[in-house]
Amino acid sequence: MSILEQLKNKGRKLLAEVEAKQVLADAGVPVNRTCLAHSREEAVELAGELGFPVALKIVSPDVLHKTDAGGVALNLAGAGEVGRAYDEIMAATLKKCPQARIDGISVQKMIAAGTEVIIGMTRDPQFGPMLMFGLGGIFVEVLKDVSFRIVPLTLTDARDMLTEIKGYPLLMGFRGAPPADTGALAEVLVRLSDFIERHPEIEELDINPLFAGKEGVIAADARMVLNWDADV
Amino acid sequence: MKADKTMPERLNEIFHPRSIAVVGASGTPNTFGYLFMDYLVKAGYRGQLYPVNPKRDRIMGLRAYPSLADIPGEVDYVISCVSAGHILNMLRQCPEKGVKCVHLFTARMSETGDRKGYELEQAIISEAQRLGITIIGPNCMGLYHPGEGISFAYDLPQRPGKVGGIFQSGGISINFVRYAGVRGLGFSKVISFGNASGVNESDLLEYLSGDKETAVIAVYIEGVRDGRRFFKTLREAAAVKPVIVLKGGRTTAGTRSSFSHTASIAGSLNSWEVLFRQCNAVQAADMDEFVDLAVAFNFLPEITGRRVGVIGGSGGKVVLSADDCEQAGLEVVPMPADVQEIITQNSPGLENWLGNPVDFSILGAEQMALAMKIMHKMSESSGFDFLIGNLTEESPFDDAVWAQLLTLETTEYLNVLKKGLKPIMATISNPGLTWSNTTENRWKTLLEKREFLSSNGIATFSSVKSAATALSKLVNYYRNRQRLLQGGMK
Repeated sequence: MSILEQLKNKGRKLLAEVEAKQVLADAGVPVNRTCLAHSREEAVELAGELGFPVALKIVSPDVLHKTDAGGVALNLAGAGEVGRAYDEIMAATLKKCPQARIDGISVQKMIAAGTEVIIGMTRDPQFGPMLMFGLGGIFVEVLKDVSFRIVPLTLTDARDMLTEIKGYPLLMGFRGAPPADTGALAEVLVRLSDFIERHPEIEELDINPLFAGKEGVIAADARMVLNWDADV
Repeated sequence: MKADKTMPERLNEIFHPRSIAVVGASGTPNTFGYLFMDYLVKAGYRGQLYPVNPKRDRIMGLRAYPSLADIPGEVDYVISCVSAGHILNMLRQCPEKGVKCVHLFTARMSETGDRKGYELEQAIISEAQRLGITIIGPNCMGLYHPGEGISFAYDLPQRPGKVGGIFQSGGISINFVRYAGVRGLGFSKVISFGNASGVNESDLLEYLSGDKETAVIAVYIEGVRDGRRFFKTLREAAAVKPVIVLKGGRTTAGTRSSFSHTASIAGSLNSWEVLFRQCNAVQAADMDEFVDLAVAFNFLPEITGRRVGVIGGSGGKVVLSADDCEQAGLEVVPMPADVQEIITQNSPGLENWLGNPVDFSILGAEQMALAMKIMHKMSESSGFDFLIGNLTEESPFDDAVWAQLLTLETTEYLNVLKKGLKPIMATISNPGLTWSNTTENRWKTLLEKREFLSSNGIATFSSVKSAATALSKLVNYYRNRQRLLQGGMK
């Protein structure tokens, strides 16, 4: 049974990081191995297995801005730091969002390097599914420097999405930074387009951030909205 | 229902009717029952024309019939000018007469927003489907097909041409044909399709993109029936021939709270812009640009370079023409060496002063022959991709000399065009002319020159700015098309 079929059986609609990444892996988008810890001890054990340094993030369908809620801790170098971070994240999230349903805290190995980008998908009432691309962080949130294309995308469409944004020179390696693997980025966009065409139940998607390294890309966080009433 | 015929086959029949009945025809001038008859008569429709009106024996000298059923022969095409309540009854008489299509000029249906109107329209459409009849409309002007002598207004060009048009608005369709006709364009097939309950924008776009008589497609649209299909159809059509689109009605951005960043950013997105960019459709900013783009694509070849040479004007007007070109995304390149050489040979020292754009005031009326020589040399130079002749209604000379100069310039534009080495277009403006200039014939001279140019295959624009804007979009279209073909369609 595919991951989406399993989620359908469970009636899942809002997917937080761990489940969203499982769906992305099915779509052929590279993701880093991400495990869900339900306790401080489990988090420490998982961190040891995955290898330091690790990142811890709150997993909740009710927390959209995890960093703002104090739900993220990065670059944790040892068991002690992981344990403390676990407690701090739980406490901060509960303080900021007391009503939030909390699935647990995700544990993953830090991704070495790369340009932070966002890839997303939404459904336009007229033209149907559209993919979005932009640079992560302030570029998307403040400057809204993003490009859109209607699904299905050709490879040329995908490449155009990359060159269309104002921040494109940053992707090409600005001031000595290594260039991002634009070939792999375009490839991921086309794979997502194909996957979305086959899955009308995918209503919205954010991959934020996706790290584009010198070779290859990897999704570090994701969320997804499913609509099981969508026309197939 | 004739299921064996595809929509393009049906549309082809619809555009070539052997007989037309105007139901609700009238003998009273300036009623639409009269006008639709008169448009066809004046446009020289060659097929059978039948007025239908139960109260009259003859209309406009033709025998009138009380109903469709009373017409002796077959009827291919019906224009309905009767009120909405009569349509269903009229439709039921259609199969016996072999009617293939009913154009509903008849309005006051779904477009009113009224529930009853909407329901009546739905009932008409499903009855037409059951009877195998294609509906155009309701609420539209129908066909303009000069090749068949079919028209939806007075005084539209009678000569056919290669521009096809798809218009959601009847008023815009007539404006467009008239404005573009004045600039020398001819049309293959134009349709105003109104509420799009029968044939819709995607059916028509698909048809025109496969139509051999149509080389350029103009589309005016406010909304689409099926956005997914329109996306696919537009992308395929624009890969084959230029599709110029004017989108009416501002999109109101939907604001909604959402779970993802993407959906919240998309809330302020104009998805039509995405559609046009992705499909390589040429988007017109307004009505003037819509016509300018049709003129550009109609007359000009596949230009893929942006280097422009401008000839004409004087002083500040020349400076501004260069600014306008740069602003539009064209490259105003320095005068190439081979052209400078000609200037030096004829007037040593002038090459340092005379550049691109070529300022005629430096040369003066007596040196017009040299100016024309420079223009010809520019047309031969590999340093330019195309030329703009900047004619002017302002002149320090008297009317006779001014008219002579215009004649010389326009004649030489034509000679440049005939050489076939470089695309050339002309700008003819008239903001300085007043009513009193009619007596001095300045208006007449300018309009004559415009007609001379456009009837000889030269694109005319009202300013360098409008020419440059249209050209920039034309170059973008052809460059993108090449790029997309190389990239391969999936």
